[in-house]
Amino acid sequence: MMSSKPLISVVIPTHNRSALLERTLTALAGQTFPLQDMEVLVVSDGCTDETVELLHRSNTPFSLKIIQQAHQGPAAARNRGAMHATGGLLLFLDDDIEASPSLIDAHARAHNERPGRVVIGYLPPVVPSGRIDFLHIGLRNWWEGRFYEMRQPGYRFRYSDLLGGNFSLGSELFARVGGFDLSFRTHEDYELGMRLIKAGVDFFFAVDARGYHHEAMDLNRSFARKYEEGQADVLMGRRHPELLSLLPLACPKPYSFLGVIPSALAFKCPAAGLAMTAVLRQALAFLQWARMRALWDRLRGGLCAYWYWRGVAEKLGSLSAASSFLQTGPARLPEEGCEIEIDLREGLEASERILDQKRPKSVHIRFAQQFIGSIDSQPGAEPLRGVHLRPILLAGLAKRMLIALAMEGVLDNPILRNRGDGLWR
Amino acid sequence: MPTAILDLDLSRLPPEITGLHRYSRALILVRLWGRPVGSAYLPVINGSIAGTELREAVIHAAGWRLWDRWLEVYLRPENLRPTHSTHPTATIAVCTRDRPAELSRCLEALNRLFDEGQEILIVDNCSKTDETRCLVKSHDRMRYVREGKPGLNAARNRALREARQDIVAFMDDDAIPDPDWLRALLHNFDDPLVFCVTGLTMPLELETEAQEWFERYSPFGRGFQRVIYDSGNCRPSSAGRVGAGVNMAFRREVVDRVGPFDEALDAGTPTRSGGDTEMLSRLLAAGYRIVYDPAALNWHLHRRTWKELRHTLYGYGVGLYAFWMRALLVEREWSVLKAASSWFFRYQMRGVLASVLKRPGRRPLDLMLAELRGCFWGPWAYLLSRRLRSRVRACDEQ
Repeated sequence: MMSSKPLISVVIPTHNRSALLERTLTALAGQTFPLQDMEVLVVSDGCTDETVELLHRSNTPFSLKIIQQAHQGPAAARNRGAMHATGGLLLFLDDDIEASPSLIDAHARAHNERPGRVVIGYLPPVVPSGRIDFLHIGLRNWWEGRFYEMRQPGYRFRYSDLLGGNFSLGSELFARVGGFDLSFRTHEDYELGMRLIKAGVDFFFAVDARGYHHEAMDLNRSFARKYEEGQADVLMGRRHPELLSLLPLACPKPYSFLGVIPSALAFKCPAAGLAMTAVLRQALAFLQWARMRALWDRLRGGLCAYWYWRGVAEKLGSLSAASSFLQTGPARLPEEGCEIEIDLREGLEASERILDQKRPKSVHIRFAQQFIGSIDSQPGAEPLRGVHLRPILLAGLAKRMLIALAMEGVLDNPILRNRGDGLWR
Repeated sequence: MPTAILDLDLSRLPPEITGLHRYSRALILVRLWGRPVGSAYLPVINGSIAGTELREAVIHAAGWRLWDRWLEVYLRPENLRPTHSTHPTATIAVCTRDRPAELSRCLEALNRLFDEGQEILIVDNCSKTDETRCLVKSHDRMRYVREGKPGLNAARNRALREARQDIVAFMDDDAIPDPDWLRALLHNFDDPLVFCVTGLTMPLELETEAQEWFERYSPFGRGFQRVIYDSGNCRPSSAGRVGAGVNMAFRREVVDRVGPFDEALDAGTPTRSGGDTEMLSRLLAAGYRIVYDPAALNWHLHRRTWKELRHTLYGYGVGLYAFWMRALLVEREWSVLKAASSWFFRYQMRGVLASVLKRPGRRPLDLMLAELRGCFWGPWAYLLSRRLRSRVRACDEQ
């Protein structure tokens, strides 16, 4: 164990975005964290623009290492950076992130509070204001929604909460789980997240570790991304079959007739699909102009589904191969029964302590004789902690809980009681 | 006979209520441990309400929300607030024009608010006399600003510019806040997508027929359930159901994100109202969230005379269609056509017909007609108001 503050290594993979990278490095120079205690490793992933010259030219107040490799994608670049890092902590940052002054400090503090966990930082997206653009609005709301969820007390982390643009972990831990999987071109962060969850590592969200995300996204890029996600999900299903049931590709037959079209086109006649998407792409522009949100959402959803299935088809070949692929995983595990049972009559705090000690995947909840409900095990989610209990009771089990309390006489039914001095003692 | 307003907490319900001889019925705001959970009308017999009837009525009014609230307190999730975030602080902005008597009551109540580090800003929108300024100066901790451009939205924009805190909470000069009002509003801003929070507004008194009709006809309250609105569950053209200017708070950043309040709209211009709704609609269109939280409670003094009421409703008619005109012209919001026509035929024409045919549950015909007249004038009022505004701007530049 290190007694003083560990040296942090900031690993930034980059590919042909020298202007963004410059802003990222400038922001790192303004950190409140002592600059002599950190090093920055920029991995140029097959850059053909002036990135490398810029890096050699730049005069940074912190130690800067420049690593070059042929274009192999962010996973390989991050692994390469981690290999050359000397710090006890690894902080992975993307090249389009403008760090707030407290970013590194917040990561370091979170690790000091409790070593051994993964700290996920906050990436508020920067959206050009003024003009209304449904794509940007949707992306911003998706990101902010994810982070808001993670900020809630008692949030149960999942493998997909590991968002690769701004997170940190011990370098030893990173080596132990084997780093990023190089076969993934996208969602490599989710895959690492899954291995960390399986290894029993805790996730923590640090809202102060804030980096402004200057994401350059347009419709074509978002479709390309969906295509990559389709490919990645096939790999993910192969690597972690228990996740198969959670992936979008697990339901090849959606409920509506329209929902069947994208996958059918992607597998059976990609040429027709390509022509159709080109036309519909123009329709999206019109819907946006006419401010027809609902229709725009549905149409874009359809196009995304098409590109997602194209990605899946690329990896699997045919629909029959896809359905046999889905058979490979333990599609539905037989319910193995809950690991432990807690009785809320012992008190909420006592129940929370039991959860904190045992860290079960699933739990039965009762109040004396009354069964309230159970929290099931979820593939890819962290084991339960005490802090999860109250939010789950309030959100999903409120009615059952009230019934149980009433049956056990904890609630005195105020309607039946004719007391003048109020409803409760 | 008038209606008494009662504010009762279920945890401290009186055995019976007496001394209401002037009233024939009572409107009860039901709370549980301070939080509003429902409201009920009850008949007053010989100046009193019996204990059993009272209990049954308030419990019925609260319904399931009573148990929700009970469980919430039982589980105490308040202890589990996010650790790494701090609540924002607010500027309370009261826009006023020549109403020192009402303003005085409002300022007294603002002084009684819990201290959340708030700044209190009074924007005096071209009052004719000096009374407002003297009144504000007599309170310490309050800041006085005079806005020379006439119009409520001009005053609101001034407040957004002058405010020193991150959140600007607007309050009408004829309303008074509940002590917990500001805290409840601020609490909702921990979601970064929430750019506006609106609250519950109850009538301060229902002494005259005009006030009773206002409360029946177009109440400010939007129920006792907290709702998060976005463009997915509320079209920008129906932003009126999210809340009203009498009780709303914005992030000051709102100006950078969707622009300032449209100064061609609302009181002090030919459009008479609608400026608040229009801002809410632009926020929804830009994909932000608006929270309606009934825990943020204030009390509004409705207009006392029938003439004022008719005038107000006429103004609402004008403002609503002026807002729709703007949404169509400036924001290209085509859904306005659907909203406006369905409102016109389903609500207004049906209401007028019911009044003419003397159907049960009808509304006074002169009120319906006043609002209808406003609707016809609304779109033109907006165009006129823009014209006037550009002329004023031209004069300023010369």
